[in-house]
Amino acid sequence: MSVIKLTGGRVIDPANGVDDQVRDIYVKDGRIVASLADGDKVSAEYNVSGRIVMSGAIDMHTHIGGGKVNIAREMLPEDHRDDPVARTEITRSSCGYCAPGTLAAGYRYAEMGYTSCFEPAIIPMNARQAHMEMGDTPIVDTGGYAMLGSDDFLLRMLVAKEDQQTINDYVAWILHSTQTLGIKVVNPGGISAFKFNQRKLDVDEQNAYYGVTPRQILRTLSRAVHELGVPHPLHVHASNLGVAGNVDSTLATMDAAEGLPIHLTHIQFHSYGSEGDRKFSSGAARIAEAINRHKNVTADVGQVLFGQTVTASGDNMSQYRNSGLASPKKSAVMDIEMEAGCGVVPFKYKDQNFVNALQWAIGLEIFLMVDDPWRIFLTTDHPNGAPFTTYPHLIKLLTDRSFRNSMLDTINADAKAMSNLASLEREYSLYEIAIMTRAAPARILGLTDRGHLAPGAAADIVVYKEDADRERMFEKPELVFKDGELVVRDGKVVKVVRGNTHVVKPEFDRGIEKKIEPYFRQYHSVRMNNFKISDDELCECGGGSKLIPHACRKRS
Amino acid sequence: MTNEATSSVVAEVACPFCGLACDDLSVDTGGDALAVVAGGCPKAQAGFARMGVAHAGAGARIAGKAVSFEEAYAEVARRVKTSALPVFSGMALDVNGMRGVMDLADAAGGVVDHLYSEIGWRSTRVVQDIGYVTTTLAEVKNRADLIVLVGTDVVTKSSRFFERYVWNDEAMFEPAPSARRIVYLGGDLNTAPGRSPDGREPEVFDFDCSRMPEALSTLNALLAKQPVRDAAPLGIEIARWQALADALRAAKYSVLVWMAGDFQPSQVDLNINAIMAVVRTLNVSTRCNGLGLGGADGELNASMVHAWQTGYPMRTSFASGIPLYDPVHNGSARLIAEGETDTVVWVSALNDTKQPPAEACVVIAPPTLKLEREPEVFIPVSTPGVHHVGHFFRGDKGATLPLRALRATGLPSAATVAAAITAKLKEVSA
Repeated sequence: MSVIKLTGGRVIDPANGVDDQVRDIYVKDGRIVASLADGDKVSAEYNVSGRIVMSGAIDMHTHIGGGKVNIAREMLPEDHRDDPVARTEITRSSCGYCAPGTLAAGYRYAEMGYTSCFEPAIIPMNARQAHMEMGDTPIVDTGGYAMLGSDDFLLRMLVAKEDQQTINDYVAWILHSTQTLGIKVVNPGGISAFKFNQRKLDVDEQNAYYGVTPRQILRTLSRAVHELGVPHPLHVHASNLGVAGNVDSTLATMDAAEGLPIHLTHIQFHSYGSEGDRKFSSGAARIAEAINRHKNVTADVGQVLFGQTVTASGDNMSQYRNSGLASPKKSAVMDIEMEAGCGVVPFKYKDQNFVNALQWAIGLEIFLMVDDPWRIFLTTDHPNGAPFTTYPHLIKLLTDRSFRNSMLDTINADAKAMSNLASLEREYSLYEIAIMTRAAPARILGLTDRGHLAPGAAADIVVYKEDADRERMFEKPELVFKDGELVVRDGKVVKVVRGNTHVVKPEFDRGIEKKIEPYFRQYHSVRMNNFKISDDELCECGGGSKLIPHACRKRS
Repeated sequence: MTNEATSSVVAEVACPFCGLACDDLSVDTGGDALAVVAGGCPKAQAGFARMGVAHAGAGARIAGKAVSFEEAYAEVARRVKTSALPVFSGMALDVNGMRGVMDLADAAGGVVDHLYSEIGWRSTRVVQDIGYVTTTLAEVKNRADLIVLVGTDVVTKSSRFFERYVWNDEAMFEPAPSARRIVYLGGDLNTAPGRSPDGREPEVFDFDCSRMPEALSTLNALLAKQPVRDAAPLGIEIARWQALADALRAAKYSVLVWMAGDFQPSQVDLNINAIMAVVRTLNVSTRCNGLGLGGADGELNASMVHAWQTGYPMRTSFASGIPLYDPVHNGSARLIAEGETDTVVWVSALNDTKQPPAEACVVIAPPTLKLEREPEVFIPVSTPGVHHVGHFFRGDKGATLPLRALRATGLPSAATVAAAITAKLKEVSA
């Protein structure tokens, strides 16, 4: 039995309404406990007086595993050369900046105080690979969202006007078969449309073959996820990614959920107006106003930060369109297995480029204009807006107005003139940062034992030395505990542990396999039984990760 | 009890003996050797029969003498520990086998190289130079209307390609599979499987495959509406080339198929670059995709695991403590030829026919491998998909198949062996 005491820290735990209160925290066998029982002997005590204590951070949208990420790694040796991770007695060597190896990613996440990371775009057929890569991402917990919406099976069901219950069964079957935590839709129906040579698809535009619109797909899938009682709302990468004027389709996407919960991801890339001389402007005010008004809507930002990165997305329609902007000039675009696709396009965001500078400002505007920190999440859509290692810098931009304005003064002047960022006075508090990086992601993913520090929670705990320079504070925590084990000290990994895999297992009628099995036999490239990932297989391909299923409460 | 319950036949078995990884095999596990009774091909039948035995009596050897596995692990650990640059080659492994070798190679400060890397690194260079537009097998099965096989017949390496993905009874979209147009670029190919079920012959552009760069240049010039001076490039009249270019433009979902291993090694990246030029030109107005097939002997298991763990493709040196990628310098054949390695460790659990290089002092392979010379250390291993479960990446990168355990053996897996050696290595270090 291991008993740990963290003594005298300043605890910030928004899930339990605790804001900077001095408390002792006890950990017994990897879990937080209220107090010690008679006979419990503290095996390690850490004096953390004066230090800020939070639960481990959660990145709810980060491309850390799966086919497209591995294409990015293979494509960009020039990315890796200057960012090696050296082998030590306890860690393996690895490397990479915007497309790091899984080992580098896991160590770096832990070293920044992140203890859970979720891959947001798992093509069902590619779920094994995604889980294998996440299994090789050390220390952090992982999980993923399965991509539906351009899969021919669903589109055929919509054409056949199958009832919602049958569609719910299919969606639940996908969650079980792919061992995932949620459902993602990417450019709804657009990936399929691209295979029929359509190059754009608006929310009410029909897929050329199926006649189905993105709105129908959004309505059906958001309802399925809701009725199955999956905690995480439908995770939506909206139509028209990166297109000037796409703010209208983003607002239409919110409406398509018809009041049901919906999560709009990397919303910065979907908040563009078409005003001004260059027909590109900020739609942040309209988007923020809509989020503030629609309580069913949550969003993560997908902040752009300047520098070299690589964009990796399931949205091959958009990525093909953007491949001309690649820097360096190369790109990979794939159609994949009657389910989806992917596109990998390296990109360099430049602060003197009008569009890039305005993208940077738009992301910050959204952060600062959305009132409720429980409904807006801190992401760069790693690596699409910037690599996750830029999070401490992003936190400084949000918490320090004078720093933000000094940065604003350095960007493209026309972009600065088009942004209202200078007038936004808000500075995020540490409490709000803890909400958007811990409490809120845990809540929206249904991770009841993560993202907080109450008794019963998993002991994923981070201790920071307070520093007025928030970038310095958040880039190097003093202590990080994962499930009660000290894994990082002074910003360096001191112990490597294996994270858990989070999944949901909603109830459904297994009779749906009578429809799915012949479909696989006739049209797919594998048999249905070889597509499904069992619990045992998941743990084996995840390298021994523990499976943590989260409860679903049926709502139909 | 039903017949099924007592049957020794296992259905829906995935096959690890070529890159297609067909998963519709039925394998009879009742006999001394495994027998493919449905859904196989000659390669699958031979592989399951040859390797699917129990390996009774097989053990580790040092200098030809029987030793315990522990002694063999310790000896390999000692050798890689004292080596300046151990080279791990072969790598015909499942995902976990590769994971195990990666742990070992990093700890030992070595280099990992697959038996097909001489081709593989050149394919990878295309991704690093220009990227690609590609598709996967299920898309081909349902969408392809024009399939151009570039310098390959596919079937020599993967015999069920047409059966499983081209001449299907039914596809989801137009045209009907039997109406698909098949074109071969290059001569000396087995074009018979390209004949449609109703007897329509494929089109063959018959020329020496070593002249593929000229053929693809011709096609690219015509697609770019550039003049071609030769009236009959490669001895084929220009009108036929023009008709092919026109057909590609008119197709709704054409697919250009290649197998890098069928190109001349020096032309691999040149040819794939040229194929991608065709594909990119066509995608401006219609859909056209490349389909690179490969993946035999766990080639993609090795390349995928290497890339995701370290960031780099294979041929990366871990000698300095950080990964250093140099696909020319770190080629195992070059390192051996130049005397830059003193310790070559051959690891192969999926292939028992390929001979290790003569310099391999350690061989970790199935006991059915008939070695031409006795290595200093031999460790027998079981085979994924035969003796133990595992995972296998299909050659189009479209799917990863679960491999089954069909027959018990007392032998360890390559992953177990690698982990045991790594543990011994760390003991030596400590």
